[in-house]
Amino acid sequence: MTGAPSADIIYLPRWRPRGRRFGAHRGQEAGGLGTFRDQVPFLTLPDARRIDLRASLRDPFEGVHVRRFEMRNAVEVWALIDLSASMRFQGAGDRLRLAADLCAGLAASATRIGDGLGVIGCDRAVRADLYLPATRRRGPALAMAERIAAARCEATGAEGLLEAARLLFGRPRLVFLVSDFRWPQALIGQVFAALALHDTVPVLLADSAEDAGLPDWGLVELDDLEGAGRRLVFLRPALKRRWIAREQARRDALRSLAAASSARAPFHLVDRFNAQALTRHLLAT
Amino acid sequence: MTVGSLGVASPAWLWLLPLALLPLFASGRRRAAVSAVAAAPADPASRWIAWLLRGAGVLAVSGLVVALAGPYGAGAPVTRIGIGAPISMLIDRSGSMNETFAGRQPSGAEESKAAASRRLLADFVGARAHDLFAVTAFSTAPMLVMPMTDRHAAVRAAIAAIDRPGLDYTNVARGLAMALSQFAPESSGSRVLLFISDGAAVIDPRVQDALRAAFTKLHPTLYWLFLRTKGSPSIHDRPAGEDTPQAAPERHLDLFFKSLGVPYRAFEAEGAPAVADAIAQIAALERNPIPYTEPRPRRDLTGFAYALAGLGLFLLVLAALAEADFLAARVAGVAVPERAPAPDIRRAA
Repeated sequence: MTGAPSADIIYLPRWRPRGRRFGAHRGQEAGGLGTFRDQVPFLTLPDARRIDLRASLRDPFEGVHVRRFEMRNAVEVWALIDLSASMRFQGAGDRLRLAADLCAGLAASATRIGDGLGVIGCDRAVRADLYLPATRRRGPALAMAERIAAARCEATGAEGLLEAARLLFGRPRLVFLVSDFRWPQALIGQVFAALALHDTVPVLLADSAEDAGLPDWGLVELDDLEGAGRRLVFLRPALKRRWIAREQARRDALRSLAAASSARAPFHLVDRFNAQALTRHLLAT
Repeated sequence: MTVGSLGVASPAWLWLLPLALLPLFASGRRRAAVSAVAAAPADPASRWIAWLLRGAGVLAVSGLVVALAGPYGAGAPVTRIGIGAPISMLIDRSGSMNETFAGRQPSGAEESKAAASRRLLADFVGARAHDLFAVTAFSTAPMLVMPMTDRHAAVRAAIAAIDRPGLDYTNVARGLAMALSQFAPESSGSRVLLFISDGAAVIDPRVQDALRAAFTKLHPTLYWLFLRTKGSPSIHDRPAGEDTPQAAPERHLDLFFKSLGVPYRAFEAEGAPAVADAIAQIAALERNPIPYTEPRPRRDLTGFAYALAGLGLFLLVLAALAEADFLAARVAGVAVPERAPAPDIRRAA
């Protein structure tokens, strides 16, 4: 998918950003223009242009009051993308394509309102070729999304995400952690802990072919993309139920791990990218 | 090449046998690449099926290779113990055997002595599976009809031939010698010499010693079935005149047999029922265990090997037919690649 998506992803950061950079989100600081925030004495903010006459006249102590407005700040949106071998999976949807669609959607939505988008692709380490510093230019961001779609995923393991989390020091950021989360539980906990500073949105790339879309009956020779070997499975309704229950348990475990690190609830990106669904999720959590 | 009782015709094929290990490492099934096999719950049934199919693969390949090599079970002589006895039959073929018990040429429903003995002996042969028979006929000279064998059909055929028109005279001594020579000298167990005649002849004293020696060595049980023509002298009749072998050959042959020192019994039959009775008595008396050897032929096991390979292949074909299309959803997804058109939302945050 190239070009801007037809629908924007609307997100509200959980924190009030600070800084001098103007943007679309309500910031912590008071600035010149924007939404009314409060009134302060003239001596606190000696700005004669914003004297609030009504408030000054109402003051029995005849103090002069100045209106203060919320400054609107830009935030940085980062997409940390797991590029381990399991991301090569192609079921009802192409997992890398999904990640790339999400990146493109974020690129379009973030740059439209003046936020920067940064992308870090990781497998066992941070992939230097798939690293994009936060940029407010839409072109490079969209190009990076395309490069994500065409990325080669051979390494197993996702330890690079810890490294990527260390790269995001300093101010809080909105971080989309895009992966299928087929990691050891311990690693998931570590990554969430490393991203605890940020407003983290886990995006679980799922595929209906891996649970609900399983055939009811038949033999399937499973081949692990992460190199865990082959296994013959005799699918039958009872096993399918157990399989789906197991997947559900995995999602629940991920949700509780995310909650433990004050990350948002995971968003399940199943089969195809839907910006509206992501928007709804982001506004609700 | 033979190992134990098994062998193969062309052992070079067996160099391909390591190929049978291939199914342990590879499978011909379609693979469904998944992000984690650990997503599939542990399932003993699946594990058993996987091992079964691996075994089927090994069985199919090894069965085919072994079948190509041409396996066989080597033949061997097998010694078994059966109830029966080696029976050497000595049958008189002199001209008088073609007469009835009344001493006439048979006419109408009458049957000759030869025909009666043929009919009754044919039943005797084959009544017990492990009897060995040799058939010797004699008249002036002895004729070896059938050497010692357990092929009862052949023995019955030989007996069926004894009612052909008979020949000349009766020369007992040489017939006895040949009948005795049918016994294998090394074989243990009992031996039976069944001597069927309707008359007797003088045995030359010079030959008597040789016969005596042979009887002593082989020690057979001797049965003489004397088909007595009506009116002719019995074995036990003393002749009216001088008691010489020439005057009463039957009596003197009987005396000679008795002097041999072997178990001996004479049956005197004056008709077919009496013959049948005598034969039944002989059959009842001769119930000894005998060891006998049976050759077991080489057995071709190629079909067996192919059947095993076929069984393995059948299981693999079943598995192939039972393969589920794990990624059917993906094919459908590729066919419909367009995304659901989302309503255009343009909103400033």
